[in-house]
Amino acid sequence: MTGIPVTESSAGHDLERRLHLAIEEVNRILLGKESQVQLAFTCLLAGGHLLIEDLPGVGKTTLAHALARAIGAKYQRIQFTSDLLPADILGVSIYRRDQERFEFHPGPIFADLILADEVNRATPKTQSALLEAMAEGQVTTEGETHELPRPFFVIATQNPLDLVGTFPLPDSQLDRFLLSITLGFPDPAVERVLLTAEDRMELLQASRPVLKPADVSALQAESRTVHASEALLDYVQALLAETRSERWFATGLSPRAGIALLRCGRAHAFIEGRDFVTPDDIKAIFPALARHRLTLAAGTEISVDEQITGLLRQVAIP
Amino acid sequence: MKTARPRDMYWVILTFCVAMLPQLLSMPAQLMPIIVLPIAWRLAAERWAWRPIPMPLRVLITIITVLALVATHGGLMGRRAAIGLLTLMLSLKLLETFKVRDARIVASLSLFLGATQFLFTQGIPMAFYAVSITVCAMVALALLHRREAFMPVGAVPATGASIFAELGFSARLLGLAIPVALVVFLFFPRWSSPLWGVPEAALDAKTGLSDRMSPGTIQSLFMDDSPAFRVDFQGTVPPRQALYWRGPVFWIFDGITWSSSYYGRNIRAPERPDADTAPWRYRVQMEPTEQHWIFALDYPALVPDRTRLTLDYQLFSPRSITRLRTYEMASDPEFMDSPNLRRTLRQAALELPADFNPRTRALIDEWRRETPDDRLLITRILRHFNREAFRYSLNPPLLGEHTVDEFMFGTRSGFCEHYASAFTVMMRMAGIPARVVTGYQGGWFNELGGYVLVRQSDAHAWSEVWLPGSGWTRIDPTAAVAPDRVESGALEALGVPRYMMDFAWLRRMKNGFDLVQRGWNDWVIAFSADRQLNMLRPLGLGDLSAFKLVLAMVMGAVLVSLLLLPLVLRLRHAARRDPARRLWLEFQGRLARAGVVTRASHGPMELAVAAGAVLVGARQEIEHIVSLYQRIRYAPEPPPITELRAAIRAFQPNG
Repeated sequence: MTGIPVTESSAGHDLERRLHLAIEEVNRILLGKESQVQLAFTCLLAGGHLLIEDLPGVGKTTLAHALARAIGAKYQRIQFTSDLLPADILGVSIYRRDQERFEFHPGPIFADLILADEVNRATPKTQSALLEAMAEGQVTTEGETHELPRPFFVIATQNPLDLVGTFPLPDSQLDRFLLSITLGFPDPAVERVLLTAEDRMELLQASRPVLKPADVSALQAESRTVHASEALLDYVQALLAETRSERWFATGLSPRAGIALLRCGRAHAFIEGRDFVTPDDIKAIFPALARHRLTLAAGTEISVDEQITGLLRQVAIP
Repeated sequence: MKTARPRDMYWVILTFCVAMLPQLLSMPAQLMPIIVLPIAWRLAAERWAWRPIPMPLRVLITIITVLALVATHGGLMGRRAAIGLLTLMLSLKLLETFKVRDARIVASLSLFLGATQFLFTQGIPMAFYAVSITVCAMVALALLHRREAFMPVGAVPATGASIFAELGFSARLLGLAIPVALVVFLFFPRWSSPLWGVPEAALDAKTGLSDRMSPGTIQSLFMDDSPAFRVDFQGTVPPRQALYWRGPVFWIFDGITWSSSYYGRNIRAPERPDADTAPWRYRVQMEPTEQHWIFALDYPALVPDRTRLTLDYQLFSPRSITRLRTYEMASDPEFMDSPNLRRTLRQAALELPADFNPRTRALIDEWRRETPDDRLLITRILRHFNREAFRYSLNPPLLGEHTVDEFMFGTRSGFCEHYASAFTVMMRMAGIPARVVTGYQGGWFNELGGYVLVRQSDAHAWSEVWLPGSGWTRIDPTAAVAPDRVESGALEALGVPRYMMDFAWLRRMKNGFDLVQRGWNDWVIAFSADRQLNMLRPLGLGDLSAFKLVLAMVMGAVLVSLLLLPLVLRLRHAARRDPARRLWLEFQGRLARAGVVTRASHGPMELAVAAGAVLVGARQEIEHIVSLYQRIRYAPEPPPITELRAAIRAFQPNG
């Protein structure tokens, strides 16, 4: 922090204020998607990566871009195609004859916020290059390790209808994404605004960063201190156990997913301005956390989302 | 439908094994594999994940099983066959038991199978056994239920609960069921005869004395320490020497075996002592024998229901005694039996098979000439037993054709029936009417319970002779040989200590056990219509019809259940003990009365939003309460509960 010396508490207060400003800023650009925006920020604060599954043109790119602007992040968009190679993402080492050594040219992944568009169109090899970098926060090529910037946030999009020529992400790699959201079509009122008001891209260009990447790191650290009581842990455990009951899914949530659930709960509570997690936080993020991690048992007629809703209604709050 | 997990399945199989064990042990050997093999197969199937046997094969096995059962029992009727069928079918059911539903059926029917054992025996061990089956079944059912049900509300996930936790849970459930079971037991209508026809050969009867006596009959009872009956005296207990419990009386002798006569069964005693002046009054609680005699001291003055007092003062019950039986009795030892002996009876009491025991006959003829007086002759014979080298023995040598001759001149060693038989024969040879009486002699006074316990080992035989002027008179020749037999009991007379270690504490323990056994008999097995009436009368519920009893039973059970409800709920919702939780439920109750439907799965804020939408005016108040509750429940440093309590008590929404 530079400038006027501030007390710690007012600094913390200022950070939170600016976090909410950032959220408002994104909401100003992406209209009518408050809960998704909040989930995106939750994911950011929890230090995870976000998966957006939806049709083209509903604002996936806009969300990623607006988010990048709001947190002042260096933004890179990588359009995944079937001929994209790992080196196209990670970068290449080129032999410099004058210096008689290889020099690493960083790929587009060396940015604060990556939009990996249509990630399931790339070959599994390329996909796993991205996902490894996401998981480890570093890139290793030819024996050299290159740290990725911190915070490092990936928003990947998947096109659900795009079945021809896609390589669906395997379950194990889907687990690398902390949350997955869908945007859906806008409300009629919002749609009217979209049709009449300024172009979103111009708004984007005009928007000013409210946070700096360093602020995001600080917010991440602070959200980790949010308190989770015994009663809340009971609820989390009951939820996890219920997902493992045969009634709902083929397999239940893993312990890793449970840890992620609590982490997101903390981030969500932090954004809500609380220093403790409540079951409402858990319920708010649970669908986004569970959706891409659970598969239906064979022969189940209804969708994963409906199952999750039913499950949440089944588990009592302790 | 869900598949039962291996651990659950093992418990189900264990339950069945425990339940069928007594059945297995009493089953014809050829049927045993039909029970054992499916269990083994099922265990192996669980262990190595075998596939179920195909349906047609299962049907075939079932048909063969039923045929085998029919062939063994000659049909499917009767207690043994019916229970055998149940056992076999349950065992075969294991072959197709993979789903939770089937497993539950097996566990429940095992409980039923266990209950059928009460048709054979109703002792205390059986009660313990029934409890162990019930506990097994409860654990199995609880495990199956956990498998199928959702997570218990608010409880810590119990999927991985240890078996001890399950046992504890089952024990608590059973404990809660006891009061209801007691009510049902106390009020369930009793009929003087059983509700359904329990077959004749019921319960584990100890045969005891029977309707014939040959050398060795009573001796075989000697090692049987099981109780024959228990006697509660009102007033003083008669001296040991007077405790002759009269049982079957024998008139007919064929040279080896004594048996009852026509009179002994069918002709009633012309008179009996006056019950009001009889000096001994007592109550007898008799174990089932499957025989026809009930026992009383000489001479019985009362005749219990369903019993007749025969000419020779046996108390004869035309129906065999298959159930514990309790009766009041009075006896008068001074009563004179038959001052005059009718001619036919005299003849019967003198009859002997011809050409038997020539040496004894010669001896008696000689003595009779020397001693014409009846009483002196009796004394002489008894003295002969006493003076000569006669021994009272548990292991007398076997006797051949002329039993009395061999006994008198050869072995000179015998048990009470040898002496009674020989003495009676000699009396008849001398022309004195005589008969053999069997029964029990003595008894064990239980200081703890203040009653006399008579065991099978107290069985005894003695003689009665008819003398002019005194009627039938008891003569116990054994007493002449071994006076100890009458004074302290057969074991002491034989020099065998009754117990390996005869310590006072051991005797007290023995007394204590028998007292418990008697209590069980009194309060559980013999809890008859009379006793029920006696118990209910002080409550003002005397003389209820069966219908009203059932009504009372149902109402009592409901009442007790309601009283126990808090405990049951405590078992279910451990979380409700939490005061914040209780207040929160109260708040939800108030919301419900105002028309806001809440769910257990509602988060606090979710509930506030839902309630605020309905009760717009109370929105602020609701949010205040919710945020207070939220802090108490989830915040790192929860505030005191008082404010929340005040806020919720003050919350009066009008919906």
